[in-house]
Amino acid sequence: MWSYVARRLLYSIPVYLGIILIMMGALRLRDPVSAYLGKNATAETALLKKASMGLDRPFLPIGIEDPAEPFGIEPIVEVGRVGFYPPLRTQYVEFLWRILRFDFGTAERPYRSWQFESDNVGAKLADAVWPTLKITIPALVLTATIAILVGLLSAAYRGSVLDKTLMVLVVLGMSISVVVFIVLGQVFGSSWLNGKLGFELFASNGYEPGIQNWVKYCALPVIIGVVVGMGYDARFYRAVMVEETSRDYITTAVAKGAPRHKIIFVHMLKNAMIPVITRIMITIPFLITGSIVMEYQFRIPGMGKLLIDAIVNKDFPIIQTFTAVLAGLFILTNILTDVLYALVDPRVRLA
Amino acid sequence: MIAAFKRLKASRGVGKFCRNRLAVAALGIIVLYALVGGWVALGDLLPGRAGITYAQVEQPVWPTPINGFGIPATNERRVEAARIITREVKRAVNNGEGFTDIRYGLLHILPGTADSDTELDRLSTLIEESEDLYDQLSEFDDLNSPEPPMLDDGAPDPDSIDVPSTIARLEGAVRQMFAPLSGWQSLKQSLLHSLGTDRQGRSNFLRVIFSIKVALQVGIVVAIISVLVGTFLGAAAAYFGGWVDHAVVWLYSTLSSMPELILLAVLVYAFSGSVFDKVSNPWLALVPVYAAMCMEFWIGPCRVIRGETLKLKELEYVQAATAIGFGRFYILLKHVIPNTVHLMFINFSLLFIAAIKFEVVLSFLGLGVKVGPSWGRMIQESTQEVINGIFWQIGAATVFMFVLVLAFNIVSDALQDAFDPKHVG
Amino acid sequence: MTTPSPILSVRHLTTRFRTDRGIVTAIDDVSFDLYPGETLGIVGESGCGKTVTSKSIMRLLPERTTIIDPSSQIMFEGTNLATADDRTMRRIRGDRIAMIFQEPMTSLNPVFTIGWQLDEALKYHTDLGRAARRSRAIEMLKLVEIPNAERRVDEYPHQLSGGMRQRVMIGMALCCEPDVFIADEPTTALDVTIQAQILALMENLRKRLNTAIILITHNLGVVAQVCDRVAVMYAGRVIEVGGVRRIFHDPQHPYTRALLDSIPKAGRKEHGKRLPTIEGIVPSLFDLPKGCRFADRCARCQPLCRDTEPELLPAEGVGESHLKRCHFPLSQAAPVTSASHAAMTSSPGARP
Repeated sequence: MWSYVARRLLYSIPVYLGIILIMMGALRLRDPVSAYLGKNATAETALLKKASMGLDRPFLPIGIEDPAEPFGIEPIVEVGRVGFYPPLRTQYVEFLWRILRFDFGTAERPYRSWQFESDNVGAKLADAVWPTLKITIPALVLTATIAILVGLLSAAYRGSVLDKTLMVLVVLGMSISVVVFIVLGQVFGSSWLNGKLGFELFASNGYEPGIQNWVKYCALPVIIGVVVGMGYDARFYRAVMVEETSRDYITTAVAKGAPRHKIIFVHMLKNAMIPVITRIMITIPFLITGSIVMEYQFRIPGMGKLLIDAIVNKDFPIIQTFTAVLAGLFILTNILTDVLYALVDPRVRLA
Repeated sequence: MIAAFKRLKASRGVGKFCRNRLAVAALGIIVLYALVGGWVALGDLLPGRAGITYAQVEQPVWPTPINGFGIPATNERRVEAARIITREVKRAVNNGEGFTDIRYGLLHILPGTADSDTELDRLSTLIEESEDLYDQLSEFDDLNSPEPPMLDDGAPDPDSIDVPSTIARLEGAVRQMFAPLSGWQSLKQSLLHSLGTDRQGRSNFLRVIFSIKVALQVGIVVAIISVLVGTFLGAAAAYFGGWVDHAVVWLYSTLSSMPELILLAVLVYAFSGSVFDKVSNPWLALVPVYAAMCMEFWIGPCRVIRGETLKLKELEYVQAATAIGFGRFYILLKHVIPNTVHLMFINFSLLFIAAIKFEVVLSFLGLGVKVGPSWGRMIQESTQEVINGIFWQIGAATVFMFVLVLAFNIVSDALQDAFDPKHVG
Repeated sequence: MTTPSPILSVRHLTTRFRTDRGIVTAIDDVSFDLYPGETLGIVGESGCGKTVTSKSIMRLLPERTTIIDPSSQIMFEGTNLATADDRTMRRIRGDRIAMIFQEPMTSLNPVFTIGWQLDEALKYHTDLGRAARRSRAIEMLKLVEIPNAERRVDEYPHQLSGGMRQRVMIGMALCCEPDVFIADEPTTALDVTIQAQILALMENLRKRLNTAIILITHNLGVVAQVCDRVAVMYAGRVIEVGGVRRIFHDPQHPYTRALLDSIPKAGRKEHGKRLPTIEGIVPSLFDLPKGCRFADRCARCQPLCRDTEPELLPAEGVGESHLKRCHFPLSQAAPVTSASHAAMTSSPGARP
């Protein structure tokens, strides 16, 4: 199995390199510095800023220099107009090198955010992770549990009034935008509810660290997140379960005289676990990103809010680092999913 | 392709879809929305004669926010509105300016005759009356729940004014300043007020109807482009195999390794150059949004069509066509892709929904529609109102969007039911 | 000689399904008896209702869309299975009546070991303890002639071949020693050499455990090999029932005759002859004819045949042991046929 993991990691490298290439290229379609400084910047400030961020260097080790905007470093060798530059000092390779060392700013070698001039990108990311997790992890656990149960019930009693009602509710829920749930949830869950209760149970926004503050600041976002996400998952799990009911081996089990609850919770569930696990695993990288809209609206200083603020304020280093870390997480989680498959499904042999 | 559509029409799937009455009703609703949206869009082509223009939407229909469904606003608001109107008319009369810019929806001061002396006299009288009434009312501290002034012995003062009737008279006076509306016009005016206004006095009804056009615009553009690009790439990848397949698969694996919203946000950032920020034409201003969504959404159809083409590739008639000697592109276009048309339709409707929903989220975050109303922006602007218990804007936007998305959900469910034998219902 | 009473008696079994095109009657008025220790074959074309019949007996059809006519009777040990409740059925399934299916590749749960799946059946229907169940499971595997039973018992289905999986299925079905064993096309998905082995195994086990077998197949050769009696079905109805030898030598229904004639034969005499077929196709269950369902394809068809559906009646001179559903069975003289009818058949054997 370890050879499989190693091989997968190896194959992931070109994919990851590609992602980073595309992402970095996309971010540079529009000059980051002028975007950040705005229209009023003079050419000099722009150039200075560029130099300070290392954006005046060539992107790839091979490049053609534009005489109007010269690169900040000298080529190793020049062939006509094409220059070969020391790889480690080009933007692409240098960033990859950063990722490899997981170095996003230390005291000696800073990598500063543009919005928060005194903070390293790495530090900002690290600070933002924990608040996000405090919301996304409980939301994931609750959503998955409830959705699986709903899916199981719906499939087991397929066509019944219960099934139809649940699915109608799900479709209705899916037709209302996430943002509406969040806005209304925020108002009713905090101001209105607090008024009715007479004390402040849920804060309408804000965040304070510490487990004692969890209910006050995080519980409401979790509840809203569960309500929003449950519809999609329940539908999916129901479809999975219904597929299971039509399998031949379920007919065999019934023919053996197995009682209904055993059929659902033992025979069907174990087989259904495979797509269920896939789905849950796919959502794990999303745990880190959190719900952008939720954090924005509730002013929770998590990863989502960090990213949106960075985008709105054109904070280039944060955007770049964020997406790089995220893509890496995604790839790792995919590999992990495949390994988990092998553990659950005896037919899968890791080839 | 026409033959393909004919085949599609006659197929069992279409019959099954048509038997689903709920789906047909939903389709009818979508057509209704499309007609409304199309009519609104005429505003760009024939401003003033048809449709709704951006300028019309932005204009306030009342000086102060009002409620929908004809529910009267608070007394304070009503008096405030009367005061503002009176002040404006007075200023225009005194300065001898024209009255053309005093418009609230369809209510306006008659331009031509306002220059005549009789009309000016009439307006001046009304102004005096309204100012007088206003002064009477301003003696109360809280007009919303006015306490009748008491005499010394605790009984209410019989000489004091009755607030509700006074306000009614005030509003009457102000109303008379405007030119009278015909039956049809007053119907239109009440329609403008039917869903209330936002804090700036703009008609929620107009804005939400205009947003239909925006939503449909985004949905159609994104869905069509994504489905076409995705279908073509997917079919080509599966059919030609080799490096084409590897390239396409690598591309979509790469792009799917990011959560959708994040990718969208980053792409919007990447695509929005200063060029697009300056443009006020609402069609062009959305190009970054279109581009970002298309780059994200083509993946769905691509995967599905690729899978389907892999299956179709092995079927006899494709192999027969190859054996006869038809060119590979020809086979792709004439034999393979037409047999994926049903999947294209299903994906179109799914992507349409996704586009609308993502537009709402992006606009809410400030990254989407920046100019003019859209459902997302309306919801975002309503967050302040909701805290104060005013749900008109968010209600209007939510309901209109809900109906459209629900209709599309029903239709795409029915499409999948009808055309995909393996679909679980 | 008194005949023993049947262990399973099916009378007027009618099963309907709800489809999106309306209610369709899949099997209509099916009646037959199963005697203890015998092998009864149910034979017919694909879609004639053989599987629906067997699943109706076991009540394995989806509840939501299946309607078993209340006048149906499936008498087993004094209980009418057609109307029995779920708990009764669960008690009977696997324990008194067992069933195996056509597709061994998908009939076993892939995420549990064979031992676990055998153990499950024993757990529901016996009082044996864990160790006793395990040894019984291994015993059953040996009984169905699986080599290395002690090792195999802990393996997963995907580690076994199709033939072995079918053996496991048989083992699972018989581990509680049921009175009735229904085998729905058990060898159709297996190749011919394995087929012979499986049939021999089933025959063996039947003798040892004295289980009555209902063998569903479309292969007349298999029927000839292992069955004592056979019921022929067509378009949802039983059209002939009787002892195998008698039916093979002296079929009464034209359809049975045509089926027998269409079996490919070897030998010099057959060289150069065309393989006889039955012209026409089975009528759609949504659009059944008024009279006999085989009328359109029958060489002996008469106006009466198109008008009234025949009843399942004893053949002349034989009695209850041979029933047929035909107005003009083959034992009678050939009715006058019109020229068009003669042209309809291409089978030389259709002439009486």
